[in-house]
Amino acid sequence: MEKSNISAALRKYTMPIALVLVLIFFSWRTNGAIILPQNINNLLSQNAYVFVLAVGMLLCILTGGNIDLAVGSVVCFSGAIGATILDKDINFWVAVLVMLIIGTLVGVWQGFWIAYVNVPPFIATLAGMYAFRGLSNVVLQGLAVSIDNKAFLNLFGGGADCYVPDILHGTNINMLCMAVGVIGVVIYVITFLFSRANIKKRGYETKPLAGELIKLVVISVVALWVTYKLASYKGIPTSLIWILLVVFIFGYITSKTRIGRYLYAVGGNKKAAQLSGVNVKNVYFFAYVCMGLMSGLAGILTIARATQSQPTFGTGYEMDAIGACFIGGASAYGGIGTVPGAIVGALLMGVINQGMSIMGMNANWQKVVKGAVLLIAIIFDVVSKKEKK
Amino acid sequence: MKSVGKIFKEHTMQIVLVLVVIFFSITTSGSILTPANFNALIAQNAYVYVLATGMMMCMLIKGNIDLSVGAVVCFVDAIGAQLMVNKGVPILVAMLAMLGVGLLIGAFLGYLIAYVNVPPWIATLAGFLAFRGWGTAVLNGNTIGIGNADYAGFTNLFNGFVPDIFGVPGFNVTSLVIGIIACILLFVTQLRDRATKISKGYEADSLTSVLVRCVIISAVIILFTIKLAQNKGIPFVLIWVAVIALIYNFITSKTTLGRYFYVTGGNMEATRLSGIDTRKVLFFAYLNMQFLTVIAAWITMARLTAANPTAGLNFELDAISGCIVGGVSAYGGSGRVFGMIVGATLIGVINLGMSIMGIDANWQKIVKGLVLLAAVVFEILNNKDKTKV
Repeated sequence: MEKSNISAALRKYTMPIALVLVLIFFSWRTNGAIILPQNINNLLSQNAYVFVLAVGMLLCILTGGNIDLAVGSVVCFSGAIGATILDKDINFWVAVLVMLIIGTLVGVWQGFWIAYVNVPPFIATLAGMYAFRGLSNVVLQGLAVSIDNKAFLNLFGGGADCYVPDILHGTNINMLCMAVGVIGVVIYVITFLFSRANIKKRGYETKPLAGELIKLVVISVVALWVTYKLASYKGIPTSLIWILLVVFIFGYITSKTRIGRYLYAVGGNKKAAQLSGVNVKNVYFFAYVCMGLMSGLAGILTIARATQSQPTFGTGYEMDAIGACFIGGASAYGGIGTVPGAIVGALLMGVINQGMSIMGMNANWQKVVKGAVLLIAIIFDVVSKKEKK
Repeated sequence: MKSVGKIFKEHTMQIVLVLVVIFFSITTSGSILTPANFNALIAQNAYVYVLATGMMMCMLIKGNIDLSVGAVVCFVDAIGAQLMVNKGVPILVAMLAMLGVGLLIGAFLGYLIAYVNVPPWIATLAGFLAFRGWGTAVLNGNTIGIGNADYAGFTNLFNGFVPDIFGVPGFNVTSLVIGIIACILLFVTQLRDRATKISKGYEADSLTSVLVRCVIISAVIILFTIKLAQNKGIPFVLIWVAVIALIYNFITSKTTLGRYFYVTGGNMEATRLSGIDTRKVLFFAYLNMQFLTVIAAWITMARLTAANPTAGLNFELDAISGCIVGGVSAYGGSGRVFGMIVGATLIGVINLGMSIMGIDANWQKIVKGLVLLAAVVFEILNNKDKTKV
């Protein structure tokens, strides 16, 4: 009884455990360099786009293993337009708004073909991958456009000062960051207790308390550890705020709202969802529009982080996002997957990327490793599902 | 008696091809019709025909695709060039080694897709990442040239021309003779086909429509051979393409194995229940895809007279576009080799025409993306009409 519980827990938390093992492996290989405060900070800022895109991609994958191959090009395209506008001395909010709108419009365009005309998603987005890459080149005329709007860079995680200023004036350590971390953990614990009480009150079955408490403690400790690391560097990177915003909004949408349940229902059994009155087409459309919006946001984060826009930006981003989702336990057939899962997947991809870079591994071998990791994750998924049956 | 409308509908792509050729003849003031450009059309697009043939076999089964082909071209070329140039392996052995590697990759991907149930686009996406990286690593990021005379035996196999045995200056009579023989064979086989059909009691096209079709196709063949004869004759690569097209046309239209592809694509469950091992069919499709990818890799390496890390970039897109434009269904179950040839030619003509017009490469990408999307949408709408009636 005890034993099967442990193996069940191991199976359920394979990816978080894998993440820890990979982190330990790289700490050993890089003599601890990967867990230096600065590298923890880089891990979040450099991979901000992966988190954002993975969340968008998750929505598409949920609807039945559909993907969006165009995101890399769309990131580049919205970034190209944004950088061009920023170059013109206009209020940077205009640029931000335009980039988000462009991303959304691309989502509407692709969503229209996929949802209402029935074009297979991989073809519609493959066409987009080409077309938007070409368009970004046209916009940038093949050149790099640099960005020197300080306010924009600071707000979206680029340049040297892209951190939330420490209004509590800590010495050596960023007090604001610590305070936010601690308050966050407290809120997390309180909501956990409330929701558990709520579940009990309504008479639903609750999970065993011990297991839930362990999870609670582990997550709190990890959150505090990351907070401490960030606080000992420069504090909260502004890109983290955007990541958290996206994660919370879409975490809420997928788990608590009707449209969120529809995503799972359509992915689980399209015909049944349709027959129970779900407008399947609208669900597809919703997923791709959200994906477009996220591509726009990722475009903002990408050009801010690089403090410029180049025609090659975003190449291979679709891979990172898709990889993060699958590593995070999303099913390639749709209907299964969560936002926290995708985040763990994105972190794992990020740690592997960064670990390999710090080790000074050749970029080509990094590609090979990434491909292998993706394949292993998917085989693991397919095989473990088979066993369940 | 077929109505004119029906003829138009059945031959839309052929008609579009003619219109596109006329369009580019006008915009390039006829230079697309020069003998050298006829040769360029073949030489530049040979890989598209070869890959699209393999892609079609994959797509026949439920619209599956292989995204890894471009990366595998790069990887296989890298291995071949390393063996030939740096290891001094005889050319034939190196070619066989390339073939062996390609088949291993095909067997690996095919196994994952057919027997482990990994969705095709994920397995091949992992291949896309891994083999591009691996290929670049094998080349150490450099280009390995095979331009000098030592490797002429290899490059001539694809880049050479059918020698002229008649010795007329400025006009390769052998080419014209080959063209005429091809036309005669066409007439004979078509008429014999019709005769067998009638004798076995099947419905057959009217004699006039068969003759009209033969005359039109023969006219195109003769036009092509005359143009090629005015240049340097028939390029060997055209013979490779023609042989592959004929073999696969035979397989898909006349053999049991070929029928398995269509029925599996039409209804996989029903096919499995009628005793056909659909997994084997799927496995064979991906094995075969990599077999043809190796041939495309030989062609590419010979044409570039080098192996380089960017070889094969976006080949998968060209192959998929060729199929879709050529009427291969994105949902599987329908498509023919000759339709695919028309589609690939159309893409080739558009590429060549835009290049001659001096259109910027970025706009070419945009046009390519839109052509792909338009072709799918057209196909879907066209089929919708059919099912309604």
